[in-house]
Amino acid sequence: MRKAGGVKIGRRAYPYLSILPVLLVVAIFAIYPIIHAVRTSFYRNLLIRPNDHPFIGLDNFIEVISSYYFRNSMEVTGIYTVAVVIGVILYGLGVALLLNSAVRLAGPLKIVILLPWALPAVVSGLLWKWLLNADFGILNSLLFSAGLIEDYIPFLAVPSLARLSLIMAFIWKEGPLVAIFFLAALQLIPDEYYEAAKIDGGGTWQVFRYVTMPLLRPVLLVVAVYETMTAILTFDTIFVMTGGGPADATALISWFAYAEIFKSLDLGHGIALSIIIAMITLVLILIYLRLLRTEDSTV
Amino acid sequence: MRVKIRRLIKPVALNSVALLLLIFIVGPLLWVAIASIQGEKELLRQPTRFIPQNPTLDNYDYVFTGKIPTDLDVIGSSLRSRISQEARLIPAALKNSFLVATIVMLINLVIGPLAAYTFSRMTFRGKRASFNLILGSRLLPVIAIAIPYYVIIRSLGLLDTHLSLILVYLVLTLPFTIWFLTLYFNGIPTDFEDAALIDGCSTIQSLTRVVLPIALPGLVAAAAFAFMTSYNEFLFARFLTQSIDTHTGPVLIAAIAGNPDASYSLISVSMTLGLIPPLLLALILRRWLTEGLSTSITFR
Repeated sequence: MRKAGGVKIGRRAYPYLSILPVLLVVAIFAIYPIIHAVRTSFYRNLLIRPNDHPFIGLDNFIEVISSYYFRNSMEVTGIYTVAVVIGVILYGLGVALLLNSAVRLAGPLKIVILLPWALPAVVSGLLWKWLLNADFGILNSLLFSAGLIEDYIPFLAVPSLARLSLIMAFIWKEGPLVAIFFLAALQLIPDEYYEAAKIDGGGTWQVFRYVTMPLLRPVLLVVAVYETMTAILTFDTIFVMTGGGPADATALISWFAYAEIFKSLDLGHGIALSIIIAMITLVLILIYLRLLRTEDSTV
Repeated sequence: MRVKIRRLIKPVALNSVALLLLIFIVGPLLWVAIASIQGEKELLRQPTRFIPQNPTLDNYDYVFTGKIPTDLDVIGSSLRSRISQEARLIPAALKNSFLVATIVMLINLVIGPLAAYTFSRMTFRGKRASFNLILGSRLLPVIAIAIPYYVIIRSLGLLDTHLSLILVYLVLTLPFTIWFLTLYFNGIPTDFEDAALIDGCSTIQSLTRVVLPIALPGLVAAAAFAFMTSYNEFLFARFLTQSIDTHTGPVLIAAIAGNPDASYSLISVSMTLGLIPPLLLALILRRWLTEGLSTSITFR
């Protein structure tokens, strides 16, 4: 059927017009700053010398990678990420299993479950800083009243405890999200599978290991990668809770980038570091996509 | 008898675990709320009391009207230093947060479904590339672009304006909104739209009249996510705002809490006030939020 020329062009242009606003926003406010950032990383850029930006190639990257703080922050980030991802998965899985069972308290639990996740990270970080306060924190108070400790513990002043506190704050805030994800996956498992397993004589643990876990694997992968990325990019919580921690114990890599820019006033270093973080994140995503593809082929 | 006890153990154990979880999740929130209605002296008691002996709304009074709370010691002029003037700026900061988050949410609701519908239903040259481009923009650590942002915004003369925050948050929220809505639309069968097209609807009309009403739960979820992301954001808000004209909630709360001179009851008041809006949002919209999250994980 012949259409008037105007309508035909309009029809063809529609898809592009409909995504134009988004593309514009992304191009101007995401692509351009990235290009600008990459360009900056190749120059010496100290905020105290605003007019002196010599080209130095990869020197920013080299200097940053070979500094003590880089090694420290990689180590801290590595330990933190592994601890946090394992913790949050165990926590989320446990909560999801609990919510999926017919426990009476599952009702109220379902109502409050998303609250920690909905809060700003600075508020949840401050909440935990508050709870762990060395002078009047409620955790200290409880431990003291229960006779478990003699003096109040300065949680955030002891390096190992400070890291633990950061981990706890993360699990408290992100756990609910993981729980909801696992719950969604659990609810997709048909009851017949469980019934069949029980008929075949499976106990609770065996049912879990041979029915539930395999069916949860895809979700587990997604959750693991997503939470890993979230963990690496933690910043707000560090800012309000520990400020890099006692003796750099909680100086995650994102904090290191911030410190380079705002404390060492070295813009080149900070941006080089951010680019390194971005590349690590990119590698993780590629791994995730690869894992997803193999998952799909075995399903 | 033994069988009866055995049968009881499982629900009792599970319920206790559930109770512990409830305390773990809600405890900190309750504590901050309780702390905010206590006077300063009572708060600093060791060990701390759970149920305040003299609950008082003085601290809230101070934030909203400027009346100095009565429980603080007055030793010469040292009263001044425990009261942070910043606490009185909380309502204004929350208003800023709310304003920016709402505008970002609304823009998301207009541009998002439009683009998502196209990605879901149509094929065109460059579809894969543009989709990946939009999603990929979200994968950067914000630290990387925060400084270039600051420079761009400053050269545009937009520092300390709501507009700068809105633009940044659009970049943070649109990719997720579009990805989520595309997924959601993919799950809606095309039969209704086919019928509508036969009846003569244009693309936009079939979107607004047919698909959007069906996709309402997904839209609510997407709107909630966009709102929450903007409201809770801290890094950019801290860089791009300079005065209370645009300071958002998280920025002010972090500033008050970081102030060594601020009275602890005031800090807890600002935290409580700061967490009420997201809390209410999560409570009221929890069904849509949960559905939205479940959808995003189980669709591919």
